[in-house]
Amino acid sequence: MTRVAGLLVVCTLMLTAAPKTWADDKCFSCHQSLGDRASELFPRDVHRLKGITCAGCHGGNAGIEDMEQAMSKAAGFLGVPKGDEISRACAKCHSSAERMKQYGSSLATGQLEQLQASVHGNLAASGKEHIAQCSTCHNAHGIASVKSAWSPVHPSQLVKTCTRCHANATLMRTYNPSLPVDQLEKYRTSVHGIRNSRGDAKVAECASCHGSHDIRTAKDVKSTVYPTNLPATCAACHSRADYMKEYRIPVDQFEKFSKSVHGVALLQKHDLAAPACNDCHGNHGAAPPGIASVSNVCGTCHALNADLFSASPHKKAFDERKLPECETCHGNHEIIVATNKLLGVASDAVCSRCHSETQNVKGYVVARSMRALIDSLEQGERQAVTLVEGAEQKGMEISEAKFKLRDARQARLEARTMIHSFSSERFEEVVGKGLNVASAVSVEAHEALDEYVFRRIGLGVATLVITVLVISLYLFIRRLERRS
Amino acid sequence: MWKRLYDWIDQRVQLGGLMEFMGKKYVPIHAHSVWYYFGGVSLFLFIIQVVTGILLLLYYKGSEELAFESIQFIMSKVKFGWLIRSIHSWTANLFILTSMIHMFSVYFARAYRKPREITWVTGMLMFFLALAFGFSGYLLPWNELAFFATKVGTDIPGVIPVIGKPIMVFLRGGEDVTGATLSRFFGFHVAVFPAIFTVILGIHLLLVQRQGMSEPMNAEANPHTEKKTMPFFPNFLLRDLLLWLIVLNLLAVLAVFFPWELGQKADPFAPAPAGIKPEWYFLFMFQTLKYIPGKVLFLDGEILGVLLFGFAGLLWTLVPFWDRKSNRGERNRFVTYLGLFAVIYIMILTIIGWVA
Repeated sequence: MTRVAGLLVVCTLMLTAAPKTWADDKCFSCHQSLGDRASELFPRDVHRLKGITCAGCHGGNAGIEDMEQAMSKAAGFLGVPKGDEISRACAKCHSSAERMKQYGSSLATGQLEQLQASVHGNLAASGKEHIAQCSTCHNAHGIASVKSAWSPVHPSQLVKTCTRCHANATLMRTYNPSLPVDQLEKYRTSVHGIRNSRGDAKVAECASCHGSHDIRTAKDVKSTVYPTNLPATCAACHSRADYMKEYRIPVDQFEKFSKSVHGVALLQKHDLAAPACNDCHGNHGAAPPGIASVSNVCGTCHALNADLFSASPHKKAFDERKLPECETCHGNHEIIVATNKLLGVASDAVCSRCHSETQNVKGYVVARSMRALIDSLEQGERQAVTLVEGAEQKGMEISEAKFKLRDARQARLEARTMIHSFSSERFEEVVGKGLNVASAVSVEAHEALDEYVFRRIGLGVATLVITVLVISLYLFIRRLERRS
Repeated sequence: MWKRLYDWIDQRVQLGGLMEFMGKKYVPIHAHSVWYYFGGVSLFLFIIQVVTGILLLLYYKGSEELAFESIQFIMSKVKFGWLIRSIHSWTANLFILTSMIHMFSVYFARAYRKPREITWVTGMLMFFLALAFGFSGYLLPWNELAFFATKVGTDIPGVIPVIGKPIMVFLRGGEDVTGATLSRFFGFHVAVFPAIFTVILGIHLLLVQRQGMSEPMNAEANPHTEKKTMPFFPNFLLRDLLLWLIVLNLLAVLAVFFPWELGQKADPFAPAPAGIKPEWYFLFMFQTLKYIPGKVLFLDGEILGVLLFGFAGLLWTLVPFWDRKSNRGERNRFVTYLGLFAVIYIMILTIIGWVA
């Protein structure tokens, strides 16, 4: 109650006892004469420029010369706010739309709620207050507008502000020991970080991706950097043609990604195993840890394909021509589901871009034979599936053959991986395995279908025999009863 | 040759007495004689169950890991295994159906009245055993539906105060339906129940042969009217045989056109599939339990249901002892209405349960 009463007094004094001239702000003039840091910073503070005195945050009566009286409890003096009191003092105005309007501000008034719901709104190590207060990022006495270059939350300053805590291993261990503390170093290796260090305020800094007051952990589904939200977060800048104009890079990545096999898996099927932007381009750095170039990233998930490719004759040829490995055939942002169409010598096959009957002929022959083989495997598997389904629909017990179909499918998947070896022998071996399985399954399904026919014929014969027996028995009974 | 064979056996076991007894045995002929055949058909189906059950036993493995796979093997690899298994499953259902018809026909004809009280009681005990055969056999393929139906089924006795929980634990071989339940049900199905059933069936058949077929009450009431009869041997037996052949053909048709499905292997960690239902002959009880409110006065609805069915079963089994009117040869309308109510109730609730 005392605190509420105190706040009311402060508010009243702040509005009614604001000095007509700054000389009338006795708190400031006294502290200025003492030469303390607060009064040194305060003259350029955005609040002072709006007419708010020391008493606006600290309470007391700025109009009274006598220190004892001005800083008495009766005058509503609060002293130096500590812990959550800091944010509450700020929220007196910043959470009140009416109050903000009086000062001609159009700032949103939900920052405190957002802050408290954010990861920084968790309890601090002391257990008595939240981790971050307004002053943690905005400072206390020299608060500047976000647009001002000397504000600690201005794009040019924000990285340093965040790393005051986030680069401090001792402090971070208290809250989240698994969180890296080298984000700044990584960030400085990225295009964003390099441009930011040169003073480009348009490039992404911490708040661009993580948000400002409502920062959530990357594991939180509401977080702007949660895998399914991240592409949209990146697209907030990278899809804006006007914003990106000066950087002269495409702005259709998000559109292409959304249609890609990865985008569909992540954004439509919510498959978190699918990559988002950061999985290839890195989080804070220029590429994921341990990866020299984005074009090598595919191999971190598609390891077998990458290994086979590295051992194939294409590796040398691609390196010589400085062609990116996976991207050359599969594209980058718009990677579609790889079908057999990519393979072979038809006009829409990627092999035909470099191989023809007259140019790189060996590859042409291999591509043609590989395509024929994988088509035959698919056809064999399809035929086996149709036969198994047919037998199953007829009520035949064919679960073993159905189970074997998995091996045929597995062989087809292996064959598709083996394409990346670009070796006819190895490819033939895997396809052969699949064809054998498909053929064995087809034989079993055929047998089941034959058995189905046999059962019906057998039933017909049995019915005939039984009918003859029934009729004979009936006639015998009649004769017997007539005789008796 | 037949004569020589007969003489050879007759010299050793004196068949003459038996033949004389059989030759004197007559079956009454009247408007309701058709119902006599259902006892014989039930017996025939039981024999099929024994034969096909023994054949299945040659390949079936009663363990959690192998039960499903062994049935799969029987269905796909064993020569005519599919036929034996399908016939066993179809016969199980037809056996309960024909037993039910036999039971109701005996009930409505008051054939349970003195001196056939023990025949009725043994018949009822066999009927309950047939239900137990069905319930225990249903779990043996260890498929998903059977697993969850057994779970629900063994939960029901568990609600009975004091003795319910020990009964449930005894049935399951533990707190839950596991491989131990399967082993236990397998033991009951192939050893315990057949042994008991065979003894009771022996008594039942002996009594039927000893006492002959019961005549309807109105036929007995007119001792002066001429009674039509038919020699049991060979006339009635041959008619029985004719019907058995038709039933055998029906079973073959069912097995070929509607082979008994195996479904998915039971996974105790999987969620119960939607629409779990017991076998059709338990449906009326299952459906009734659904309709009873959660609490009736001071009793739990489920407990009330179990107690009601228990009481009804007991009342039905003991009908020869409380239906004194019929024993005196008087008409007892109450018994008729009670029987009609039971038939209509079972039919309606089964249909609702089936459709639901």
